[in-house]
Amino acid sequence: MTVGLVIVSHSARLAEGVAELAGQMAQGRVVIAPAGGTTEGGLGTSVDKILQALRLAASSEGVLVLLDLGSAGMAAEMALELFKQDHDCPVMISSAPLVEGAVVAAVEASIGSPLQAVAEAAAAATTLPKLPATEGQTAEETAPEDGTTEDRT
Amino acid sequence: MPVVERNLVITNKVGLHARPARLLVQTAALFHSQIVLQYGAQTVNAKSIVGVLRLGARCGSTIHLRAEGEDAEEAVRSIEELVQRNFDEEEEGDRPQGESTTGISSETPA
Repeated sequence: MTVGLVIVSHSARLAEGVAELAGQMAQGRVVIAPAGGTTEGGLGTSVDKILQALRLAASSEGVLVLLDLGSAGMAAEMALELFKQDHDCPVMISSAPLVEGAVVAAVEASIGSPLQAVAEAAAAATTLPKLPATEGQTAEETAPEDGTTEDRT
Repeated sequence: MPVVERNLVITNKVGLHARPARLLVQTAALFHSQIVLQYGAQTVNAKSIVGVLRLGARCGSTIHLRAEGEDAEEAVRSIEELVQRNFDEEEEGDRPQGESTTGISSETPA
């Protein structure tokens, strides 16, 4: 069993896309349940959808919930309250950025890491640079190229 | 405990980005040995995806692999083979011009 993931987003398509991307990284070893949009199909979050996703991702190892925006946190907490009424599964809600957090958590979960380690990996993803930069190189490399970059476009 | 060390040159186009890093971590995790990667001033646990991504090792860079444990020899061999196989990446040169060369392409099979 591995830690399960719940992807909470205001957009159903965003949640599904993130789940798809993270799923490729997990190679089928992790249950990743998207919970995006409202039950009417609009933009927003749904306690019901999150609750269903929690039930789907529930495992003895626990579940990590990732959010697209902070305002999804309240819905996630409400869903978690309901979930706890009939599940004993440990759940943590992450403040990590959605894409990096989900991808990193998926890999960490795929190698059988415990919930705490998966949550810590996702949190650490907050400071991952988007561009590969070795110390001191970025500034040196990008600064002189600014002009040429403009010319090319 | 046996210690095995090796210098590895990263030769796949995108370097240690998401997908290659994921493969490296998932391979390292198969072994009991303690496995670390050194690149520049950084030393990270090869079983930590955040650590490996943080290295930011690009194509052409040399990373130092060190494994300590009963299965160190096997662990180093597996990781070395993975790196030498360019993480089973498709040859980007075969693609039509203008294709994305990012780590995760829409054409990459799941």
